[in-house]
Amino acid sequence: MAVSKSTNTYNRQNWEDSDFPVLCQTCLGDNPYIRMTKEKYGKECKICARPFTVFRWCPGARMRFKKTEICQTCSKLKNVCQTCLLDLEYGLPIQVRDAALKIQDDLPRNEVNKEYYIQNLDSQMSKFDATQPSNSALKSKGASDLLLRLARTAPYYKRNRPHVCSFWVKGECRRGEECPYRHEKPTDPDDPLADQNIKDRYYGVNDPVAEKLMRRAAAMPALPPPEDRTVTTLYVGNLPDNITEEELRGHFYQYGEIRSLTLVPRAQCAFVQYTTRGAAEHAAEKTFNRLVIGGKRLTIKWGKSQGRQGINEKNEVAPALEPVPGLPGTLPPPPAYLHPFPPQMPPPANRPNDFFNLHHYGGGWGAWGPIPPPGPPPLRLHYPSQDPARLGAHAHAHTPST
Amino acid sequence: MPKVRRSRKSPPEGWELIEPTLEELEQKMREAETEPHEGKRKQESLWPIFKIHHQKSRYIYDLFYRRKAISRELYQYCLDEKIADANLIAKWKKTGYENLCCLRCIQTRDTNFATNCICRVPKSKLEEGRIVECVHCGCRGCSG
Repeated sequence: MAVSKSTNTYNRQNWEDSDFPVLCQTCLGDNPYIRMTKEKYGKECKICARPFTVFRWCPGARMRFKKTEICQTCSKLKNVCQTCLLDLEYGLPIQVRDAALKIQDDLPRNEVNKEYYIQNLDSQMSKFDATQPSNSALKSKGASDLLLRLARTAPYYKRNRPHVCSFWVKGECRRGEECPYRHEKPTDPDDPLADQNIKDRYYGVNDPVAEKLMRRAAAMPALPPPEDRTVTTLYVGNLPDNITEEELRGHFYQYGEIRSLTLVPRAQCAFVQYTTRGAAEHAAEKTFNRLVIGGKRLTIKWGKSQGRQGINEKNEVAPALEPVPGLPGTLPPPPAYLHPFPPQMPPPANRPNDFFNLHHYGGGWGAWGPIPPPGPPPLRLHYPSQDPARLGAHAHAHTPST
Repeated sequence: MPKVRRSRKSPPEGWELIEPTLEELEQKMREAETEPHEGKRKQESLWPIFKIHHQKSRYIYDLFYRRKAISRELYQYCLDEKIADANLIAKWKKTGYENLCCLRCIQTRDTNFATNCICRVPKSKLEEGRIVECVHCGCRGCSG
C-alpha cells in the first residue's frame, strides 16, 4: 500500500506497536550495552504485510546493523526470533523444529484469510501471558531428542558479520580498507544455501538450511535395537578407571530393573542385563552417545544375540569327520543351546560373532583349550560317541591333561 | 564564499598577497562543483566541497593567528566577504577542536543517539586497526 503512515488508517487497530523486540541471543550480539533505534510502523512485516515497529541495532564491533524483519505476532506464532527466524529455544530453523516436534503448519496463506487469522490470534494473545509461545503445540512438547542433538548451545556471532562486498566481487570496489563490507570470496551460487527465502523459511518449506540440518541428523550415529527380541543386554565401554559396580548400577537402574551387571575392570567395560526388553531399549536410547561418567563419554552398544551365536557356533563347530560306515543315518546333533558349555574349539582367527570381544581377555577359556582328537590316531573310523563335545559329555570336568 | 562579489568595499592592505592563493582555491572549488557525480556514492559527492571549504578557511586562519602575516582589517574583510567560515574558525580556537574538519561532524542533533561523528573519536579510543572515513565530509579523523 503506497499510502503515507498518517493517512492510512485501514485496520489501524491491528498495527503492532511494541516496546521491545523478540530476539535471540545471536542477533542481539555480544555487547550487553546495546543502543537500539525504534521506528513505529517503520516497515511492513515480511510475512503478514502489516506495519510493525522496527528495531535496529548494531550487534557488536565489526558487525552489520540488524533490524527486525517480521512482526511480533508472526514471531510469537512460531516462537522464533524476529530477525533471524530461528527458533528461540533451540536456534533451529522452523522446518527442523516442526519436523522434530511433529507440528503441523496450519497457517493460512491466502491474503485475506491470513489477515483474519492473525487478527484473531492477536486479540487472543493480548489476553494471555506474552512471554510464552502462543502456539500450544510448542508449549506442551518436551524437548525432542533430535532437537537437543541439533540445537546450537552457544551464540553464533559469525551470522552477524557484514555482507560480502558486491563491488569487490566484480573487482570494482574502490573503497579499499575503509569498505565496511567483507572483501571475501562469495559462496558458490550453485550452493543450495545461497538461495533462501524468508517466507519459505517462515512456513517451513524448501528451507535449504533445514535440509542440511536434517541430512546431518540422519548421518548422526544411531543405535538401532537388535531384531532379536531376547537381547536385553547392553555393553557399556570406555568406563573410567575408578568406577564401582554400585555406581554403575545406580545409574542404569533408573531405566528399569537390572537382572545382572558384570563389570570387567581390565577391559574397562561392563554388561548390563535388564529384565525386560523395554527397559533395555529405554536405557539404550537415553544413554547412547550421551552418558558421561567421570568425565568420559561411555560407549553404549547392544549385546549380541544369544540365539544367533549358538547357530553360528554350531556351524563352526561341526567337525569334518569321516562318517562311520554302516550306520543307518546320521542323527541330528543336539541343539546347541541345550549344551551347557561352550564347544571345545579354539577360537578361529576372525570369529564372525566375537561375543563382546571377550576372547582376548577371557583367560578362563584357555584351560579348556583345544582338545586333541580322542582315541588312538591310527584308528580311521570315528564314532560320534567318541566326540566329547557331543552327547552332553562334560568334557571340561575331566579335561584330558595331555 | 559568495558566488558574485557585490561588495563595493575596496579590499584592505595586503589583499594582493593572498589573492592568488584564494583565486586558486576558488578555481578548485569550481572544478569540484562541476565534477560529475557518476561512480560516486551518495555521501561521497559533497566531500571535495567540504574539503576545499576547510582549506580556504584554514589558510586565512593560519595567516592571521599562527603566522600573523595579515592585518586584522584584512582578516575581518575575509570573514565579512565570507571567504573564510567564521563559525568554523570559532571552533578551531577551542581546545580539542583545533583540527575540526567541518561543522556537520559536531552537530549532534543530526544523529540518532545525539553523538558526534566517528571522525571526532580519538584514534586511541577507536578499536585497534579500525579505519574510518566519515560520511559527512570524508574525514579520516580530526581529533588527536
